Amino acid sequence: MTLEDDATGAVRPSQEATAIYFDGTSSRRHIVALRLGETLEIGEDGATLARWSYADIRRADSPSGILRLSCLAAPSLARLEVRDARLAADLVARCFHLEDNLPNRKGVAAIVGWSLAAAVSIVLVVLFGVPRAAERLTPLMPDSFERRLGDVADAQVKVIFDAKHCSNAAGQVAFEKLVGALRRSAGLDNAVQSAVLATSVPNAFALPGGKVYLFNGLLAKAENPDEIAGVLAHELGHVRHRDSMRELIHNGGTSFLIGLLFGDITGSGALIFASRTLVTSSYSRDAETNADSFAIETMHRLGRPAKPMGELMLRVTGKEGGKGLSLVSSHPLTEDRLARMGNADGGSAITGAPLLSAAEWQALKGICGAGKV
Amino acid sequence: MNDMSWTPLGPPQPQPQPVPPPMPVAFSGNRKDFFHLIVRGAGLELVTVGFYRFWLATDIRRHLWSNTLVDGDGAEYTGRGKELLIGFLVALAILVPVYLAYFLAGLEAEHVKAFASLPLVAFFYVFGQFAIYRARRYRLTRTVWRGVRFWMSGSGWIYALQASLWGLLVLVTLGLALPWREAALERYKMRHSYYGDLQGSFEGSGWEFFKRAWWLWLLTPFALYLMIFAPFVYGAYKAIEWRWWLSGIRFGEVRLESTLRRSALIGLYWKVIGWITLLGVVFLGYLLLCTFLVASIDGSSIETFFKTEAFAKSIPLLALLVIGYLAFALSLNVVMRVYLLRDLWIRVLSSTIVHNLEAAANVTARGELANALGEGFADGLDVAGF
Repeated sequence: MTLEDDATGAVRPSQEATAIYFDGTSSRRHIVALRLGETLEIGEDGATLARWSYADIRRADSPSGILRLSCLAAPSLARLEVRDARLAADLVARCFHLEDNLPNRKGVAAIVGWSLAAAVSIVLVVLFGVPRAAERLTPLMPDSFERRLGDVADAQVKVIFDAKHCSNAAGQVAFEKLVGALRRSAGLDNAVQSAVLATSVPNAFALPGGKVYLFNGLLAKAENPDEIAGVLAHELGHVRHRDSMRELIHNGGTSFLIGLLFGDITGSGALIFASRTLVTSSYSRDAETNADSFAIETMHRLGRPAKPMGELMLRVTGKEGGKGLSLVSSHPLTEDRLARMGNADGGSAITGAPLLSAAEWQALKGICGAGKV
Repeated sequence: MNDMSWTPLGPPQPQPQPVPPPMPVAFSGNRKDFFHLIVRGAGLELVTVGFYRFWLATDIRRHLWSNTLVDGDGAEYTGRGKELLIGFLVALAILVPVYLAYFLAGLEAEHVKAFASLPLVAFFYVFGQFAIYRARRYRLTRTVWRGVRFWMSGSGWIYALQASLWGLLVLVTLGLALPWREAALERYKMRHSYYGDLQGSFEGSGWEFFKRAWWLWLLTPFALYLMIFAPFVYGAYKAIEWRWWLSGIRFGEVRLESTLRRSALIGLYWKVIGWITLLGVVFLGYLLLCTFLVASIDGSSIETFFKTEAFAKSIPLLALLVIGYLAFALSLNVVMRVYLLRDLWIRVLSSTIVHNLEAAANVTARGELANALGEGFADGLDVAGF
């Protein structure tokens, strides 16, 4: 073809060479002649198949060693493949916008920039937006919904600690009396039953709706009813302040947003867990301090001191101060809490009757029966 | 002859023959290029807190697709990272209310009976299967060869229903029904796949797969018990599956065949295990070093450092651990992608032969582009494939 064109001289000699062309409407392989004139002419057997203007030509992905081109004005999948290095270089030199729609350095910089902006905004929302949203949304949640949450948690507790309910009758009466007094003082619903569970973990918790669970491990470490009463009052404080509801919203929102960053919406990855711990623990420290205030008030309303609770806590945790930073700790330092309760007790005298008689206290201590723990 | 003209350099046109020779499939990519792409991508993933994954996945596919040559012509991947990002965001907007509804439904179920909400997980299994189908459709419509794209019809939900019911059967039969599940699902997928106006089909049968792989089913309990056997069993299973799958693929009269040996992939899995072990040891050493360093700066002995749980509260230690963990996770990703994406791709490709490719010599372009919503769901639900 080239020879023929040159021989006839009908067309001004220009650059002409062959390439492979796919027209984008069928998979037929055209061996074409290229003419690099004003525009790029793609011809087969003397007929012109297409004219591509250089400004519209873009590079497409190709195997190494092949220049593959597309054209904005042509069908989107029309491709021209040039395998000759010299012809390819010549074409590249003529197409000024060749690399325009391929990802480049500028594009990557934009991705990095926007990603960082998104990350910063997510972190800001986690630190400031989510706590505020939890604060605002919690009062809007109906009580019935919260009670339902409590029931659900209770059903799970029953399954997990199935055989571990302590059932000594005298102990149960004493326990109900203690919890009842606290609930009345705190202004909480008094209908739900509470229970002591036979595990050696020194802990206690209250469910939404006011049901209280006390672990025998804590009971074993307690030396008088006021210590246990203080801890239970603290847990009831969480119920009163609807902290579990708030925590639910707070944790859910935080996991979701941090999960967005790392690409796991369910928020279960290790990294997500670690960063969430950092964020939520500072929040929960505030909730603990408020629950302590509530416990102090409740105990004082009953005419009993709050300090024994702090003493029990210290017995359980040991001294905590001076051991690294407490940024990831979910509770305030035990020493600080004890000091605060001691100060609070200073102003008011112990005027109330003991919450439990000595006999009742002994019955409570033995609620799990001999040999069951 | 004019200096400025070239003689035809294209491959010689084959003369029409009564029985055309089978075509091998070739790969022209450079391993070093791929490694650079992956390492750079991992670094960018770190800098962009993970958002770069959409562009990295796109770059990986572009590299693998465009270097895959069938009959001398390279394929092309025309998808872009931005599409994946948009798909992810839209999927997110749909998944968030779904998650909320899931939470509330779970709460109701728990109210009736403790832990009754666990079966709700099944819903996400079905949803995941839907995502797998739609993600495949996205990838297929971005796959171009000789200026004509592949495309897909069919319904993601019908596929998800089939996949879930078959999944149930596999569960009930302790895995024995797996070959028939794969055959049925592959038939559905291929029947709805097209290259231009050439309709696909799948001719592999469950029985054939079962005949080749039943002994692996017997070995699986041992492999689960003695983990050292697991890479052998899994490697052999994957090789048999690849070979069976490729050999069943048809597009019109075009027929694929694979000669992959059973042992072809086992070495790859051992290499990955070797690298993971090595990286794990390095990470462990780093952990110990950091702990000793922080403890000595703290002034307390290692023993008290652990006894008082002070190690869990030390911010410098935590920061060092997070950095170490990130580096560990990213290098693991690099290893997995190099061996289990690229090297596996090449081993499988080099075993593949195409018969009767002439049937695809003049295929008319058809089919619309599908959106990346399926990829977004797959990303959000963690069921992503390639």
